[in-house]
Amino acid sequence: MIKQKMRRWLENVYNCPYLILIMVSSVIAMISFDEIGVRITDHIITDDRTISVVGDIVKAEEHQTQGEVPVLVEEIQDTGAQDGADQDVISENLQEESENAGERKEETSAIEDVNTLNIEIEKYETPEIQEEIVKGTTKFLPYTPLEIESRYYSDAGKIALTTEYPYVLENDSYFNDAAFLGDSRTLGIYDYVGLDGADFFCDNGMTIFKLLKDDGVTEQRTGQKVDLKKVLQERQYGKIYIMLGMNELGYGNTTMYLQEYMSVLKQIREWQPEATIFIMANLHISREKNNMETEFNNININDKNVACARLANGTDIFYLDSNPMFTDSEGFLLSELTFDGVHLYAKHYDKWRQFLMEHGVERGDSAAVAVPAADESVINEAGAAADSTEGTQTADVVPAPVEGVQ
Amino acid sequence: MLFSSVGFLFRFLPIFMIVYLAVPAKYRNFVLLVGSLVFYGVGEPYFVLLLIGSVLINYGLSRYMFWEPKSPQKNRKLKAKKRRRRALILACVFDLGTLFVFKYWDFVAGNVNGITGNQLLPILSLALPLGISFYTFQMLSYQFDCYRGKVSRQAGLVAYSNYICMFPQLIVGPILRYGEVEDRMAERRIRVRDLENGLKLFAAGLGIKVLMADRISTLWNTIMTAGPGNLHVSVAWMGALAYSFQIYFDFWGYSVMAMGLGKMLGFRIPRNFDDPYTSRSIAEFWRRWHITLGSWFRDYIYIPLGGNRKGDMRTICNLFIVWVLTGFWHGADWNFVLWGLGFFLLISLEKKTYGKWMERSGVLGHIYTLLIIPVTWVIFAISDMSQLAAYLGNMVGIYAGRVMVGTEQFIRYLKDYGILLIVCVIFITPFPKKWYHRFKDRWFMVLFLFAIFWWSVYEIVVGSNNPFLYFRF
Repeated sequence: MIKQKMRRWLENVYNCPYLILIMVSSVIAMISFDEIGVRITDHIITDDRTISVVGDIVKAEEHQTQGEVPVLVEEIQDTGAQDGADQDVISENLQEESENAGERKEETSAIEDVNTLNIEIEKYETPEIQEEIVKGTTKFLPYTPLEIESRYYSDAGKIALTTEYPYVLENDSYFNDAAFLGDSRTLGIYDYVGLDGADFFCDNGMTIFKLLKDDGVTEQRTGQKVDLKKVLQERQYGKIYIMLGMNELGYGNTTMYLQEYMSVLKQIREWQPEATIFIMANLHISREKNNMETEFNNININDKNVACARLANGTDIFYLDSNPMFTDSEGFLLSELTFDGVHLYAKHYDKWRQFLMEHGVERGDSAAVAVPAADESVINEAGAAADSTEGTQTADVVPAPVEGVQ
Repeated sequence: MLFSSVGFLFRFLPIFMIVYLAVPAKYRNFVLLVGSLVFYGVGEPYFVLLLIGSVLINYGLSRYMFWEPKSPQKNRKLKAKKRRRRALILACVFDLGTLFVFKYWDFVAGNVNGITGNQLLPILSLALPLGISFYTFQMLSYQFDCYRGKVSRQAGLVAYSNYICMFPQLIVGPILRYGEVEDRMAERRIRVRDLENGLKLFAAGLGIKVLMADRISTLWNTIMTAGPGNLHVSVAWMGALAYSFQIYFDFWGYSVMAMGLGKMLGFRIPRNFDDPYTSRSIAEFWRRWHITLGSWFRDYIYIPLGGNRKGDMRTICNLFIVWVLTGFWHGADWNFVLWGLGFFLLISLEKKTYGKWMERSGVLGHIYTLLIIPVTWVIFAISDMSQLAAYLGNMVGIYAGRVMVGTEQFIRYLKDYGILLIVCVIFITPFPKKWYHRFKDRWFMVLFLFAIFWWSVYEIVVGSNNPFLYFRF
């Protein structure tokens, strides 16, 4: 009797392989991945970052021993509020961050420290470099920041404005030696602005972290994946436009973004000593798309924009903010300009075209003069500039005249 | 809670199934009811109260229909009839009133305010309770069936509540009739085979929804992102096609998942789609698309109005009413009305002229349907009238200004979505279904569905954890 029952039961089991497969694998999966919430992707991301952050620190230490001052630390010294001891604190913080990258909660404070320290740096005007060279300034408009509890970003508390500079109105041929690097919004510029002379290297989902990696970027004109490292070493461009930051909103944090941006610029500067670099602001998103519960909101975008705007030096790196053309008074992308709250409709790119035309920079020969050591990296140059001011003309160092901006 | 979410797949469903199978058969209805309310309440913590309230009121009214006074009365039959009519009217007023307030008030108020030019009616901006269109229709169906005597025996409260709230069909249908679940509600045996087959069906539906519908939807979004008005004909049609695939696979996937879940619970949930895109006329399309909704309108609106038995004029008039209502049921906006009217025109034309001939013609009928249907879906998809006009213009080669999304982008989209489009085309034919039924017990199909399940789960997890993956900028 029991035997018969057993037999029938076994037959039943034998007849439902799928049920068993799914049940067993589900149990395994649920045990292996915390919440089959499979924080899988999260782990991958953080692990990935850990390695490269550690790499940066290692690099930074090397620089120090060679007598070159790493930027991050240098900038913090400039703020004057910190003494030498802070250097250690910061690298410790960074170290901590990299070591604990898996358990984010504990070290948010550390990240915040780094963030706040970094944010205190303003752009310095260095009027004394050469007499006749026009130098632009990038101004920041302050506002009262919100408290943000996110490991991805904080509220920058200010808005970066387009670098002030006597721009020239250009025509199509100006862009014949231009390269555009970016994500899907840059792809939009390629598709709808119609700058036929320029080269476009962009992909949906592109990030500053992936830009110079081996995976490559699609060169839109040919549709082929190319290694941007090679391209930038082989071809010389007069202008390079970069617009990246959207896909970084939920990846790493703003400090990492800034660091990566710096090193990308440094790298590009090495290969393209003559090029004028334009850092383009990431376009804000619409009110409907703006979500404070996630990291997908304008505060985060602004945080990224302010971060990269700080790299503009007004001589050969400029920051262009196209947001005022497309946003309302609160900074939301106007909803009639967009379907998904993120990308402009094709027909509105004409405005952007106009904007790019209006912001031409003619540096001529002065470029070589303006940058004393053109082969040096931007970053080191910025550091050096700050260095010299510190040594000689401390009185002339004027922190960005934030309150002067209306 | 959506079927295609980690919360449902790995929290709700396993826990619910264990409890459901562990308790003695007579408690299963109760467990199912509690489970369904939890299922709904997790996503809609407040509207679950509305759902419970509606169920209780409707149940009360249906009891009233069957109620008979103990003492003998004069005109017993007449009074009973009056009572039933009263109950039916009250149920209609309550159910349709609720639906109206939540779904249509803002639309009506907005239009009234627009016409009169002042703020006559307040805009409420209420959120739409999940699945209200579906469960309202199901409640009405029960009241009508009671009124007509199709439901002979009064259902118990738990059985009735389960019929309305049962989680496989609560949110997106199919719209059940009480007769379809009555027997199983009273008694059902769940065999291991049912669990096995139900789970397979569920996995197939999950795959259709997650791996096809959700992916092809990005093509439509990409094209709409560029904006109607400047799309080349080819791109406009590609977008229309993508949206047609998206809406079909999304809805079909859900229905198949519902059927699978129903099977696992011991019910037989009817199919909602029968290869609609292989139809040879629009009328046939609607006999195969969202079958339970079509038959609802047929049985509770069209036929009571007289159907096609009262002369041509009345037939046309009845069709008009049915299709305007069908349009409105899908959404409170003018484009839905336009969409419904489009079907009214096409189906009336077919009825009077070329319909029969098309259905017999074969290839020509297929071509005709496949050309018309994507156009109707474009009307369905775009609520903004000027954008809709611009998009339809693009589909026939009328552009606002220059073509900005042209053949170059078309080729790029084809590169990105070509394979998926081919898969979609295969899945609108009856073959995948045939293969499924033929091979569903073979080892390779088992492995295939296993892979589909986990691939879908992977996509869900990656997608929900990282909203940027689906909307990569």
